[in-house]
Amino acid sequence: MSGFTLPSISLLSQSILSGVFVGALYGLMGLGLSLSWGLLKLINLAHFAFAFLAAYLCYQMASKGVDPLLTLLVIVPAFFAVGAGLHWVMARFKVTPFNSLLLTFGLTGIVEAVIQTIWTADFRKLESSYGEQKFKVVGLFVPVPELITLLLAVGISLAVWAVLRYTDLGRAMRAAAEDAPIASAFGVNQKRNALLLAGTCASLASIAGVCLALSFTLAPSQMYAWIGVVFAAVMLGGLGRALGPLIAGTVIGVSEAITMAVTAPSWAPIVSFTLLIFILVLRPGRAT
Amino acid sequence: MKRTPLIIIGAAVLLAFVPKLGLPAFYDSLLYMMLHWVVLATSWNILSGYTGYFSFGHGAFFGAGLYTTSTLLARYEWPFLWTLPVAALVAATLGVALGAVVFRVKGVRGELFALLTLAITFVIGTIVVNTPIDGGNGVPLSGVPVPKIGPTQSSTFYLLALAAATVTMLVAWAIFVSKFGAGLFAIHDDEDAAEVMGVPTYRYKLMALAISCALAGAAGGIHALFLSYVTAGEVFTITVPLTVVLMSVLGGTRHWAGPAVGAVAITGLLYSFTAADHAIAGKAMIGVVLIAAILFMPDGILLRLQRVFRRTPPAAPGAAHPPSTLAERSTPTASTASTTGHGEVLLHVRGLQKSFKGVRALAGVDVDVRRGEILGLLGPNGSGKSTFINVVSGHYLPTGGEIVFEGRHLAGLPAHRIAAAGIARTYQIPRPFGHMSVLDNVALATMFGGAIHDVATARKQAMTWLDFTGLHEKANAHPDDLNLHQRKFLELARALASRPRLVLLDEVLCGLTPSEIDDAVALIRRIRDQGSTIVFVEHVMRAVMALTDRIVVFNHGELLAAGSASDVMQRPEVMTAYLGRPHLEPAHA
Amino acid sequence: MLEVHDLQVAYGAAPALWGVSLEVRTGELLCVVGPNGAGKTTLINTLAGILRARAGRIVFEGRDITQLAPHRFCEAGIAIVPEGRRLFTGMSVLENLELGSYLPAAKAQRRQSLDAAIALFPVLKQKLASPAGELSGGQQQMVAIARALMARPRLLLLDEPSLGLSPLIVQDMFAAIRRINAEGMSVLMVEQNVVMAMGVSTRAYVLEEGRIVADGAPDELLARPEIQRAYLGV
Repeated sequence: MSGFTLPSISLLSQSILSGVFVGALYGLMGLGLSLSWGLLKLINLAHFAFAFLAAYLCYQMASKGVDPLLTLLVIVPAFFAVGAGLHWVMARFKVTPFNSLLLTFGLTGIVEAVIQTIWTADFRKLESSYGEQKFKVVGLFVPVPELITLLLAVGISLAVWAVLRYTDLGRAMRAAAEDAPIASAFGVNQKRNALLLAGTCASLASIAGVCLALSFTLAPSQMYAWIGVVFAAVMLGGLGRALGPLIAGTVIGVSEAITMAVTAPSWAPIVSFTLLIFILVLRPGRAT
Repeated sequence: MKRTPLIIIGAAVLLAFVPKLGLPAFYDSLLYMMLHWVVLATSWNILSGYTGYFSFGHGAFFGAGLYTTSTLLARYEWPFLWTLPVAALVAATLGVALGAVVFRVKGVRGELFALLTLAITFVIGTIVVNTPIDGGNGVPLSGVPVPKIGPTQSSTFYLLALAAATVTMLVAWAIFVSKFGAGLFAIHDDEDAAEVMGVPTYRYKLMALAISCALAGAAGGIHALFLSYVTAGEVFTITVPLTVVLMSVLGGTRHWAGPAVGAVAITGLLYSFTAADHAIAGKAMIGVVLIAAILFMPDGILLRLQRVFRRTPPAAPGAAHPPSTLAERSTPTASTASTTGHGEVLLHVRGLQKSFKGVRALAGVDVDVRRGEILGLLGPNGSGKSTFINVVSGHYLPTGGEIVFEGRHLAGLPAHRIAAAGIARTYQIPRPFGHMSVLDNVALATMFGGAIHDVATARKQAMTWLDFTGLHEKANAHPDDLNLHQRKFLELARALASRPRLVLLDEVLCGLTPSEIDDAVALIRRIRDQGSTIVFVEHVMRAVMALTDRIVVFNHGELLAAGSASDVMQRPEVMTAYLGRPHLEPAHA
Repeated sequence: MLEVHDLQVAYGAAPALWGVSLEVRTGELLCVVGPNGAGKTTLINTLAGILRARAGRIVFEGRDITQLAPHRFCEAGIAIVPEGRRLFTGMSVLENLELGSYLPAAKAQRRQSLDAAIALFPVLKQKLASPAGELSGGQQQMVAIARALMARPRLLLLDEPSLGLSPLIVQDMFAAIRRINAEGMSVLMVEQNVVMAMGVSTRAYVLEEGRIVADGAPDELLARPEIQRAYLGV
């Protein structure tokens, strides 16, 4: 174990910045999961599988020359359908919240196998024009793919927040999450709204996947590395709150980055998980 | 009932001869892995399947055992077999330390507990990787001598795993049929009700966790040498816990042998794919199997098979439930009831207060209950009657005041101690343990409230209580099959089975038809006649008139009136509280 | 306006209503009284679409609505003020009211409905931004009634509006209900507080153990010994 080393200001700032970027991705990945868990009471472990599948699809299309961001036009609707379909099945069989965790884990395994069959276990890196570009702002390097991720994460989180806060549909979703029978007594068609929300969550996962493909090297086994951290961000941010995963993700990303700069990278996971443990033990009510 | 352990041991002995067959090493490996997963899945199930606290941290305890052994072998050159008990101990200690904190927090159940345990796994894994325990490079153990237990090295591991699996299965079975196991299953169905009935939930959860971790730790120790090169990356992940969950859910978490069935099935499936070079397809297959299991067999293979092969749902092996003979049918007597009539104060409540988030449900209530009387608790909805029962029985902690029962101060004690002190209660909306038979529901109360230690005796006594309440024909049925009236009587039987001196009944008659009410009234009288004191909350006035010696009326969390029923109900303030004061001109049709 | 024929409803495994028949005439304030456990909430919840009838018919404004999906009852013109208020405590008062006017027809008149609600319960004006869970019992009851009115129903269902409220607030509540009815709203109310309920209604039914056992004009029913005995046992 390397001891504690105090990094230079510029190194620290660069670390914090990259922490913000990675945190934004945590937040974007966690958004769909948080909404699904908070508003639909279903824990969708397959969320990660969807993200990675979308990442690989993006990679595939990009390697044929399509601009990675344009792939969103195809990927987002496709995953909307998948998400809604999955929810329909789970609702039909009245799957309980805990069993949804198990069922979606099974789905994750299947998707992983499919990915491995098509793209093998080798590492794949998406080569795009974005990957080369970076800006220099105030002496810090801002790579374009990460910037895109940050902008998408912030933009989408704000959009979702606004919908939940200010529109009738958003209110209906929140009301139904709290007291479904009374919400429906006022005309809320929760069955239809749930399908909409499930589809949206899957689409959000797919967008996160595309961002993932832009910045990271892909390998099927990588899926599991994200599960822990993203769950931590979701729970820390409070279930069902649109801005929660983004803020919590950023906190985690930055603290991980600082930890890595000050000690060794392998200590990083301890930050998010210890935070998670403390939250769960001290204020379990907050996470439900 | 004693057949099962013999079968387990017999099968183990038979399987011990497999190495003599001289099969290729592949089979030794396969069988080792199957047994290895049997240990992991079955040990996981002891906590998570039995109590319902699904842990995703089994990897951490398995890893703790793994690394204990590897450290002792590599650093301190201990002989291998001696490291195993230490591995088990370390894992168990870790588990208990965690559990001591986590189980105290009331809100952490279900998905939260699963996540917490997963987080702990990653934290421990990170610590292990970053400290000399592993250091990031893994621990090589190839130089360590393997003890000569079997003809070949791989067969040695097979035999070790066989021993571990046998012990694990025996432990799982023993718990399943014991009072401890019954308590764990009760916690699964309704932890609060179990606590109120006398199950020491905190202690039992810790014990189950300790046993579960110890077994996993031992499996880890064995596995360390099997691998001969130990790395953290494979151990402190989500893979081990998810696999054991999958195996247990597939086989059935409510049965001691379920996880073993799942473990053998899944390992076999995986290996058949690996052998055929389709490891990836194997993973997909597992996913398909899990999905199909959740959708179509949420209770697991084993229970589904059992239901197919037997007509009635399985009771624990060997128990028969004939209606008790006439000799045993004598009305059960309460243990230390003094029949010196009314007079002596049994329960003395002074200034009892209970607030919920600013709402004052009880605003300082004084009530005395005399031995042998039937006291009615009345009042309009929301007046605090049910809260009173909940506080006295320990379901809620009071925010002020004192409760003295037979000279003992009970306020603030955990519910299971209050139950042990001699107070029992029924719930307004019956809360039976849904997965247990009617008989077992009552037997549980006999064991925990009535301090009987062996399951068979408890069942016999429970039967007499079922006779007393007229439910003896439903002994093997499940609570879901009963109608409301029968469920209420089940609540009564459960409350009585712990031989309480004070019985608190919460709206027992609500929802019953007039003739059912008559039955219930007669039953309540019989309960008092054999020595119990009864306090009951009720709205059905003719029952109140017929049964009570005295009543107290609550209103807005305070005591409004006390006295004999016919006297109190005619008082103007009581009539106002119930019927309301007319103040508007009636609108004319 | 509303006809209920032989309604049978089971609550879980336990049957709660054994063939209940009643009718609500346009513009009247009808009351269903009965002791605890009689099935009053089951009745209201079934009429609001929250529970499904096992047998029998519900005919509203000439239309058989018995088999409608739960979320269509509000569309048909029925709104409920549930027992215990059941506000969306995580949302603000204003959001609760907005949810009340979720359906398009109601939404179009949201502004007017909101003004009318504040006119009826002026104290709500200051509380619009507060989380609904922080209001007192009486204020919550006002919000619950207002929420139902925001849906612009033609029939208002009230489930034990006096529950858990102190006597003074109950008086205000019933005055408001009378006013609502006077403005033309048909009201079906179930209540435990018999005298209060009889004071405002034009007609009443007595529900006991899942069956209608009496009906008629309030004063006449009040005088009957059955009610005294059912409630007080004397």
